[in-house]
Amino acid sequence: MSRYYLIPIFLFLLFIMGCLISRSPDGVLVDLDAINLKPASPGHLLGTDSMGRDVFTIAALGARTSLSIGFAAALLAVSFGTVWGALGAMSGRIIGSLMMRVVDSMLSVPSLILLLAFSALINRPEFTNHLPTIVEQLLGISNYSLGLLPVVSVVSVIAATSWLEAARIAYSRISAIRNEEYIEAARSLGLGTLAILRRHLIPNARGLILIQATLLVSDAIVMEAGLSFLGLGLGPSTPSWGSMLRQAEADIFFGNWWAPLVPAILISLTVLSVNMLGEKALAPPDSSSRRT
Amino acid sequence: MGLDEPIPVQYGRWLGGWIGKGELGRSYQDGRPVLSVIAERMPATLLLVSISMTLSLLLGTAWGLMLAWLRLTDRMRWLEESLVAGSLALYSIPAFLVAIVTIFVLTGVSALHWIPVFSALDLENKGALQALIPLALIPALALGLPRGAKIALFIRTLALDEISRNYVTMALAKGSSYSRVMAMHVLRNCLVPVVNLLALSLPALIGGSVLIETIFGWPGMGRLAVEATFGRNYPVSTCLVLIYGTMVVLSNLLADLLSIFIDPRLKDGLSGQGMTLKQGQL
Repeated sequence: MSRYYLIPIFLFLLFIMGCLISRSPDGVLVDLDAINLKPASPGHLLGTDSMGRDVFTIAALGARTSLSIGFAAALLAVSFGTVWGALGAMSGRIIGSLMMRVVDSMLSVPSLILLLAFSALINRPEFTNHLPTIVEQLLGISNYSLGLLPVVSVVSVIAATSWLEAARIAYSRISAIRNEEYIEAARSLGLGTLAILRRHLIPNARGLILIQATLLVSDAIVMEAGLSFLGLGLGPSTPSWGSMLRQAEADIFFGNWWAPLVPAILISLTVLSVNMLGEKALAPPDSSSRRT
Repeated sequence: MGLDEPIPVQYGRWLGGWIGKGELGRSYQDGRPVLSVIAERMPATLLLVSISMTLSLLLGTAWGLMLAWLRLTDRMRWLEESLVAGSLALYSIPAFLVAIVTIFVLTGVSALHWIPVFSALDLENKGALQALIPLALIPALALGLPRGAKIALFIRTLALDEISRNYVTMALAKGSSYSRVMAMHVLRNCLVPVVNLLALSLPALIGGSVLIETIFGWPGMGRLAVEATFGRNYPVSTCLVLIYGTMVVLSNLLADLLSIFIDPRLKDGLSGQGMTLKQGQL
C-alpha cells in the first residue's frame, strides 16, 4: 500500500475539522425561491436541495451530528462491552460462559435487524412519554420539540447493537492473561478483583479495544445513515448525513442528483479513512512469516 | 391481545403457542400466524441474497485473480495500485449508497431506461417468483458489489501468498501450464478462507438487504421488518429476529461443512490454522 492515497483522506479530515470548529450558522433556512440550484451557483457552493436549503451548510452541520453520534455510540458500546467482557472473564466459569453465550446469540442476528427491533422498543410512546422531568429538561424536551431525544435514542440503539464485538475481545484477551504470574502476584499482595481489572487487565487489553472503537465509529455512522434513511433515526430538523439521504427520494423526483451525492461521498470517505486506519493497525507485521 | 399482562405471562403464552400449536404468535396487522406471513416473503429475500452472493463471489474472484496477475507481471505498477485503491474505496461504500447511485444513473440516463429497476410485484400469485429473477439483477449487484470488492482484495492477498510457495514452483517445473496451476492448485487453496469470509459476511449482506429491499421496493423479509417496525407489529419483529438468527447460524454450519469438502485436511482438526477467521477481520 503506498502513501499517496492518504492525501485525499487528509483533505477530508481537514474538512471535517473545519466543520467541527467553525461557527455554527443559525440553523438551516428553507428558501423556496432557491430550490434545486445547481452546484457552484452564486452563494451556494454545492447548490441547494429540493427544500431550498444550502447543501454545503447542511453537510457541515450534518458532519457534527453524524460524527458526534458515531463517537458517542462507539464510546458507549466499547465501555459497556469492555465491562461486560471483563466481568465475564473474572466471574466463574458458568456465569462467564453464560454471559458470553448472550453475546454470541445476539451476534448471530444481523445488526440491522437488531437495530430495527431495538428502535421499535425504544421509540414506543409509552416509553418516551413518561421520562422523568430531569431527563426531559436535560434533553430539552418541550411540548413543541423533541430536543435531543432522537439523537439520544439513535445513539443508544446503535450502542445496544454494537457492544458485542468489544465484549468478545475484552473477554478473550482478559481470560488469556488472567492466570499470568504478575496477576497472581498482585492478588497475593492483597489487591481485589476490581483493582486488578482496573490496574492490570483492562490496560492490557486497551490496544485491541481502541482499534475496535475506531472501527465502530464508522460502523455507527453508517448505521445512523441507514436508520435515518429508513425514517427511524433523525428527522429533517436535525441535519445529519443520514437525514440528508432521507431527503433523496424527494430530490430524485426533481432530478436533483447533487444533494444526496454529497452525504453519500462524505459517508464513504469516512468509512474509507477508518478502514485504512484499521488495515494499518490490524495488519500482521509481516504476512510472509505467517506460514512456514 | 393480552398486552396488559405481565411480561413473563406474555412470554409464557408466546412459548406455549410455539410448543402447542407450532406458531410464533399472530401478526397484529391481520391476525394471521406470523410464520405464514414471513414464509410469503422469504423466497424473495433468499433469491436476492443468493444471487448477490453468487455475483460477489464470481466477480470478486475474477477481479482478485486479475489484480494478483497484474502484481506478478510487475509492469504498470500505477494501474495495479490505483485498482487496489479503487477496490478498497468500493468496499468502503455502504451497499445502500451504491443502490442510490445506481438508481440515479439508471433513471437519469434515458439510454438505460430498458433496464428494470423497481419491482412493484406482490407475491400473491405463485408465478411471481420467476418474474422476479430478471428484476433481481440490479438490486443484487448493488448489494454484492462492496462484498465483491472485499473478496477481491482478500483473494489477491491469498493468491500472492500462495503463488510464492514451493509447490507452485514444483508444479510449474514439472511442466504444468500456468493457468492449470492457478485454477487447480492456487485457487483451490484460496477458496477455504473465502468461503468462511462469505459465511461471516452473510449477516452484513442480510442486514444490507433490508435497506436494498426498501430502496428497490423488493417484496422480501427486509421490507417486512421495516414495515413491522413502523407498525409496532411486535410479534412479526420478534419472529424475524429469530429467523434471521437461525439463517445465520445455519449458513455458518454450511460454510464449515463446505470448507471440509473443499479442503479434506480440515477434517482432522477443525481448529486448524487457516480455518478460523475472526469477525473483526471483516
